[in-house]
Amino acid sequence: MPFVSELIGRSVADVDGERVGTLKDLLAARWGSMPHPQIVAIEVKRRSDTVLIAMTDVAVLIAPAIPLKKKQNEIECYQPGENDLFLLRDVLDKQIIDTNGVRVVRVNDLELTRVNGGIYVANVDISGVGLLRRLGLSFISRRLSKSGRQITSPGTISWDNVELISGDEPMRLKVPGEKMAELHPADLAEILSDLTRQEGSKLLDSLDVKTLADTLEEVEPDFQASLIEQMSDERVVDVLEEMAPDEAADLLAELPEERSQELLKLMEDEEAEDILKLLAYPEDSAGGIMNTEFIAVPPLLTAEQVLDVLRESAHEAETVYYLYVLDEESHLTGVLSLRDLVLAQPSVPISEIMETRIVTVDLNDSQEECAQLISKYNLLAVPVVDREKRLHGIVTADDALDKIIPTAWKKRLPRMYR
Amino acid sequence: MSSIRARIKPYRARLLLLLAVIGPGIITANVDNDAGGITTYSVAGAQYGYTLLWMMPLVALALIIVQEMSARLGVVTGKGLGDLIRESLGVRITTLILGLLVFVNLANTVSEFAGVAASLQIFGVSKYISVPLAAVGVWLLVVKGDYDTVEKVFLIASAVYLSYVASGLLARPDWLEVGAAMLQPSFHLDVGYITIFVTIIGTTIAPWMQFYQQSAVADKGIRVENYGYERLDVLIGSLFAVFVAGFIMIACAATLFKHGMLVTSAEDAAVALGPLAGKYASVLFALGLLNASLFSAAILPLSTAYTVCEAFGWESSLSRSVKEAPVFFIIFTSFIVLGAAIILLPIQSLVQAMLVSQTINGLLLPVILVVMLLLINDKRIMGHFTNGRVFNILAWVTTVILIALALFLVFTTFFPGVFGSP
Repeated sequence: MPFVSELIGRSVADVDGERVGTLKDLLAARWGSMPHPQIVAIEVKRRSDTVLIAMTDVAVLIAPAIPLKKKQNEIECYQPGENDLFLLRDVLDKQIIDTNGVRVVRVNDLELTRVNGGIYVANVDISGVGLLRRLGLSFISRRLSKSGRQITSPGTISWDNVELISGDEPMRLKVPGEKMAELHPADLAEILSDLTRQEGSKLLDSLDVKTLADTLEEVEPDFQASLIEQMSDERVVDVLEEMAPDEAADLLAELPEERSQELLKLMEDEEAEDILKLLAYPEDSAGGIMNTEFIAVPPLLTAEQVLDVLRESAHEAETVYYLYVLDEESHLTGVLSLRDLVLAQPSVPISEIMETRIVTVDLNDSQEECAQLISKYNLLAVPVVDREKRLHGIVTADDALDKIIPTAWKKRLPRMYR
Repeated sequence: MSSIRARIKPYRARLLLLLAVIGPGIITANVDNDAGGITTYSVAGAQYGYTLLWMMPLVALALIIVQEMSARLGVVTGKGLGDLIRESLGVRITTLILGLLVFVNLANTVSEFAGVAASLQIFGVSKYISVPLAAVGVWLLVVKGDYDTVEKVFLIASAVYLSYVASGLLARPDWLEVGAAMLQPSFHLDVGYITIFVTIIGTTIAPWMQFYQQSAVADKGIRVENYGYERLDVLIGSLFAVFVAGFIMIACAATLFKHGMLVTSAEDAAVALGPLAGKYASVLFALGLLNASLFSAAILPLSTAYTVCEAFGWESSLSRSVKEAPVFFIIFTSFIVLGAAIILLPIQSLVQAMLVSQTINGLLLPVILVVMLLLINDKRIMGHFTNGRVFNILAWVTTVILIALALFLVFTTFFPGVFGSP
């Protein structure tokens, strides 16, 4: 099927064969459930001005010269709707998000297709072949493919998997397409690092607080700080409360002192207290990366009772796989895995099934020591205790490993550029 | 709340805004005085004495005008120049401009490695040792180095530029004469003079600078409200660059020109400075050249790879594996390999490579400027941050003068002898 770049510049003639002008742009609109936008009008460049003509007045679009159905002076101007896309102006050569491949790419061309008499935008061409076509050098790619060398780069993306980033119209990303909402926060973070700062902030503005918090957790703290720089305090507070306390503490530590004090004052007391506790420890220590939302149970309960406690109180906890058994003064006396608990007889007191030889780390131990213990004993999390063996928090495997295997998002290239 | 202090660096809060913004302009301006630049200024000073000094304030003004526009484009759009050209002017113009830019930048990279070879030859190191070492070192620094180290290395490198000021002072110029020359414009219609004129402009306002600075500004995410600080950054950077350039000219004029010694390269200048201004002046001059060459040999390939990938939508990243950003790595690596190899092959004399690349800069510059002016005056892109009337007149006048000079240079190159031989 034809490409937009091939149509642009073709001459447009009225019903009598009188020349009107040349094709300048195509307008497309999305209807309801149809994922592909339909061409609704064309923009024609006349000698001294341009005119929009509805597709209903165009006899054939995909033709060497485009004939209209009416006479030149009978043409009515098409009024573009709010959601109409000018394909050349708004899409071609711009960057888009490929939600399937989770990356930001540049549009080299657009492929059209005919369905039930309507013409729709089918695919986005991001290939080198598309580039050559735009440069009028298609013969190179033809020759290469004739000579047997297939250039089958993953060159086209279906419009289904495309999300527009529009710098000009801030509204466009306000309602993130369902496509973006379905992405994993780690993928969103990946895309974020590919976007320019301005586009990035727009993307963040469009996310709900929960997704935003999850996404920020996937990003390095110094990049986080620059991302939330422009957000309102209320939104940042909501996000901080949603984030795990250790992540929130990291983020606050990256901000200027005045702003972080301000934010802490605005936060709920309980959450702010948790974060302040963490901030007292060095960044790379167990105390600095630990999570304070763990499940603690008294030693006298039975397995069944503990399961009930779990159902009620586990929503906030970072991990439910370990339960920590504490005495009245918060001393860690035992650890219970979810497996032990589920397999145990309901009436057995947990003090009988809990593990009492516990691997722990001190508040001031380094992140690396945590990672080593976790790896050595095959743990999912390791408890953090003070000198008196009082439990303060837990370091989960992913937090401990962060240092050794950096989060998957790529380091932004241009620190050198900063 | 005092516990929070433990992890927050106190200087940050106070200097945050300024530090956050300062940078791109100053770094760009520093790379500006690269091997080609130093050669040009030395030759100019040795050949014409103080008589070219009057143009430096004007060059500074032109540099500020151009770099201010580049910074403004970056702040307002949040995009690099390659990016903007592609989005606003389409594939063909992008390919044309970037094609030229790649060529010019490659020529410049060659001249950087020539600078490395030349400066170390003064200390008796063969170019067959210095150039491969420099190439590998630069590649490793950029690809494997972590960014904090690289940033520190570059900042220290910036300070080394002051060695030229020291050389200039050691050369004991007659300051009254310098002052008089600054205020006394002179112009000769001979090919040599015009060539050095265009070359000085081409090397001071090099085309890659606009691409590099705009990407840097955009990436830094400077907000429009803080644009004043960025303007200051550009201003300081541009003035510093021209200040250093002026001192190079003064150092050579006060010594080499006074004694009627003709030099054709920066290394000649460095060697010749020895007996005239003392050993330290000579060593400082050579060290400055080495530093400048290495600094720019790292930045130019990086900037080129970044610009090309940005415009064509290819993955650009250093920390991803080669497989994920192949084009980026190919461009970056081949620039360094080619730059070093061309110097080692006995194809062209080193000096020629240096001077020619600076002159081509001068030819590409007007093209870039016209494109920038078109973009910055586009309301769809810039909103109400387009050029003001006075600024626009200044910018266009600068552009027209540069076009005229470039055309003149092309003309004299193809029809030598019209204005008398140099």
